[in-house]
Amino acid sequence: MLNLNNSFPYINKHRLNILLCILFLLFAVIPASAQNSFTISGNIKDAASGEALIGATVKVKELPQIATASNSYGFYSLSAPAGGYTLTISYVGYKPVFLTVSLHRDTVLNVVLSSKTDLDEVVINGKARNNDNVSSPQMGVEKLDMSQINNVPVLLGERDILKTISLLPGVKAASEGNTGFYVRGGASDQNLILLDEAVVYNASHLFGFFSTFNSDAIKDVSLFKGGMPAQYGGRLSSVLDIKMDEGNNKDYGVEGGIGLISSRIKIEGPIVQDKGSFMISARRTYIDLFLKASSDSTVKGSSLYFYDLNAKANYHFDDKNAVYLSGYFGKDVLGLKNTFGTNWGNATGTLRFNHLFSSKLFSNTSLIYSNYNYAIQSYLPGNDFLAVSKITDLDLKEDFQYFANSSHTIKFGVDALHHNLAPGSLTTTDNSSFNDKVIERRYGLETAAYISDEWRVSDKLNILYGMRLSGIFIFGPGTFSTYDADGNTLTSKTYSSGQVVKDYFNLEPRLSASYSLTDQTSIKASYNRNTQNIHILSNSNSSTPTDLYAMSSNNIKPEIADQVSTGYFRNFDDNIFEFSTEVYYKWLQNQIDYKNGAQLLLNQDVESQLVYGTGRAYGIEFFMKKKYGRFNGWIGYTLSRTERKFAAINDGNYFPATQDRTHDVSVVGIYQLSKKWSFSGTFVYGTGNAVTYPNGKYEVGGLTTYYYSQRNGDREPSNNRLDLGATLEGKPHKKYHSSWTFGIYNVYNHRNPYAITFRDSKTDPGTTEAVETSLFGRVPSVTWNFKF
Amino acid sequence: MIGMKQIKLNYLIIIAAVILVAGASCQKVISLKLNNAAPQLVIEGNLTDQFGVQYVTITRSVPFTSPNVVPTVGGAIVTMSDSNGNVYNFSQISAGLYSFYPISGVAGQTYKLTVTTGGKTYTASSTMPYPVNLDSLSAKINVFGKSDLRTITVNYQDPPDTANQYRFVLYVNSQQSGTIFTNDDSFTNGRYVREDLVQNSVDIHAGDTATVEMQCVDRNIYEYWFSLSQQQNNGPGGGTTPSNPPSNFNNNALGYFSAHTTQTKKIVVY
Repeated sequence: MLNLNNSFPYINKHRLNILLCILFLLFAVIPASAQNSFTISGNIKDAASGEALIGATVKVKELPQIATASNSYGFYSLSAPAGGYTLTISYVGYKPVFLTVSLHRDTVLNVVLSSKTDLDEVVINGKARNNDNVSSPQMGVEKLDMSQINNVPVLLGERDILKTISLLPGVKAASEGNTGFYVRGGASDQNLILLDEAVVYNASHLFGFFSTFNSDAIKDVSLFKGGMPAQYGGRLSSVLDIKMDEGNNKDYGVEGGIGLISSRIKIEGPIVQDKGSFMISARRTYIDLFLKASSDSTVKGSSLYFYDLNAKANYHFDDKNAVYLSGYFGKDVLGLKNTFGTNWGNATGTLRFNHLFSSKLFSNTSLIYSNYNYAIQSYLPGNDFLAVSKITDLDLKEDFQYFANSSHTIKFGVDALHHNLAPGSLTTTDNSSFNDKVIERRYGLETAAYISDEWRVSDKLNILYGMRLSGIFIFGPGTFSTYDADGNTLTSKTYSSGQVVKDYFNLEPRLSASYSLTDQTSIKASYNRNTQNIHILSNSNSSTPTDLYAMSSNNIKPEIADQVSTGYFRNFDDNIFEFSTEVYYKWLQNQIDYKNGAQLLLNQDVESQLVYGTGRAYGIEFFMKKKYGRFNGWIGYTLSRTERKFAAINDGNYFPATQDRTHDVSVVGIYQLSKKWSFSGTFVYGTGNAVTYPNGKYEVGGLTTYYYSQRNGDREPSNNRLDLGATLEGKPHKKYHSSWTFGIYNVYNHRNPYAITFRDSKTDPGTTEAVETSLFGRVPSVTWNFKF
Repeated sequence: MIGMKQIKLNYLIIIAAVILVAGASCQKVISLKLNNAAPQLVIEGNLTDQFGVQYVTITRSVPFTSPNVVPTVGGAIVTMSDSNGNVYNFSQISAGLYSFYPISGVAGQTYKLTVTTGGKTYTASSTMPYPVNLDSLSAKINVFGKSDLRTITVNYQDPPDTANQYRFVLYVNSQQSGTIFTNDDSFTNGRYVREDLVQNSVDIHAGDTATVEMQCVDRNIYEYWFSLSQQQNNGPGGGTTPSNPPSNFNNNALGYFSAHTTQTKKIVVY
């Protein structure tokens, strides 16, 4: 395997050249095949709210090989020879629309779809049900239906997209009740989490029990586990692309909910009827009110809450130009009276401008801001300090989508992302035990250019191929050091402002293809390379708000992942059931781990504490989904292995990564009993985490000390849990609508291991014992939701 | 570093609060099937700057499920040398316990301990640091948890011109606290340091007698204890992946050889 790893980059260079040649050949070929055809283009929107529908499919009945989907802004475009056609426009959860078109010149056709109001009454023609999952070349992608997320029962009734995606095959929750997730063996910092294109650095509230994504404000969620399209880059293992609601451009509306630990409200409405809309959504928890009730004065004076604010506005100047402004602001605040306080949070802002150059060329320009920061303050006399850390990104992106002809859709673009990292500073008073300290800021520019083509070779074969060139420049000012294997400084050099310290370039080929065996069966394969230039440095087993970020540098090389996967996709029963299985193998290079006893906090020489190695991950995923009907849901099963290898750890042998989970099962079911009642349930089972248990004990310094012989050589007990939920719709009113959501988390009260620790026994002195900590027993919840 | 450690502890407490609100977290003793490694050689050598008997103990590790009684290793040859070429031959005074008398370590001197047993030779070096005075101990109300409990604070002036590393050992009514306390001066260089010995392994009440030994240790020994103390944070809220602390002995011996200063103070807790 070592040889294979080493030769892999070499093989890729050849593959790259071949791919580049194909790309150029292709562009020479495209115009030739574009004769005598006309374009139908337009926007696809929700009839009631005027919101753009993302990923709605448009098919031409007479030309089965022609199909397209609306893009992130609801725009679609397709080309066909002159003639009369029947278009089928469909979208999950909406009634399909059939339109007759007489095509003799380029035609603009805007379409509105109405959502299915009552599941019972709508009988959908089998042909109109989507078989995209089978025919699209894209693999390794999961699109979440927001209405499904809202029905899945979760801890304390806080519905959460991150917890829901961990119910998908190939995705694992970092720990119970946690929003951190691992995709196909990747670490949790190897997920690219985008909210309206802005990178969200810390997607968790309250140490991961809740995510930063208030599902009220979310419109669309896509998770890419493999075969990443070329427009995405910067993280190794997945892309979670989240798009915010745009707001209703026809009517004003207010909705919200009052839950056990939080309340939320959302206001939306038109800015200018049919042309522009806004949406504001807010959520705040009130766990601290429980603390106020405590008799203990320290607890009483403590703060513990988080809040989220999402806002978005858009305005369509005409059919060709539109502007979108969206933002997110969230914060966690924790503190104990007169003792300590901490807060952390993300802020993002995205300004986008859509312009249609022609019915075939769509462009989007984005200016994106993202910030993550934390502050910790101690008020203890003699031990006071204020520690702050911040990361600020400014990103300018230009994306084009060229609907060349009936068989080629080309995407290309450029991206320049500026990072400003302030790893940490400590401010103290004269009376403190601590000195002031500032860790040097780091500046970097991540650049990327990409091109990809979705090529419908025939009505059976679809190929999505492309290339992404990514680079990073690390700039001064600052002093940059290199270190030897023992962490001693080898060289140290001071750079002036703007001087390039180091740069890296990587070519990332992306390729996926599907071949339809029948209308409902296909096989797919993909290969993709991803690189990552911003890394979390944390020697803790779990993600904390104080995780430290570092860019690639003289010491840290870009992380590289190569993934190959292949899959079989089969729909049954007029596309009511979707079945898929995917096999993947992933090679990881330049992975980061830490020396024993590493000191990462506020350490200027933090890179001296790191060790570098490789990894591999492979597995098979099975997924069976029932998408339509009163009863819907899915079953996912993953069999996988994830290993890492570092010269300094485990005698240089492969060891299971913490996120290695042999078996992972999730079952989700939602049943619409009547107009009033719907029920849902989820069941999860997973092999326990790979952990390091003692293999012996001895005594030093008067204390029992444990001996470890193998990294992650043991397993925590497996975990399993059943959650149930029910929704009761209130009586229909003209003016408002209300509903109750009930939930029971961990119905059979299974104690799942959260941590296992070892200690001297208090009950049986002179012996040691293992102690399992579990977090949540059975937790009931209730939420009241309203909508005006 | 104690301040930073407190941050972590604070997190644990807040998490605990969240969980208390959310339902109840639960701890239970479980039985696990653990792999037993072959017994490992453990050498613990201490040389202090106080004139007196200096000890080296040699033992072996036992399986996790065995009682906390470690087998001793007798018949080893234990010698120590200093940078001036003096050699000190330790003699076995009881099973696994070796001593030399009378001697005191000298600040700035590097000592090398050599142990030969079972046909293998193990060596470790340690440099005696310059002493730093333990100014005083104080007690205060435990800020986290029950308010009838106390936390002991050590107060000392960190010298500005040298890199200093410390280890503290806390005894409450002669019972040793199970928590490992370390500090270096990367955050406190030159400051008057008030360091809280935050722990929960022994309850401290007003009226108890608290004794603290302050050791000035060299960098390697600091890393040894720091590494062990980091692993003590394991549990809810995360911790580091456990591993053996970096021993200054070669040939895979566990344990350490520490040349350190020692100073002890005592207070009646108020």
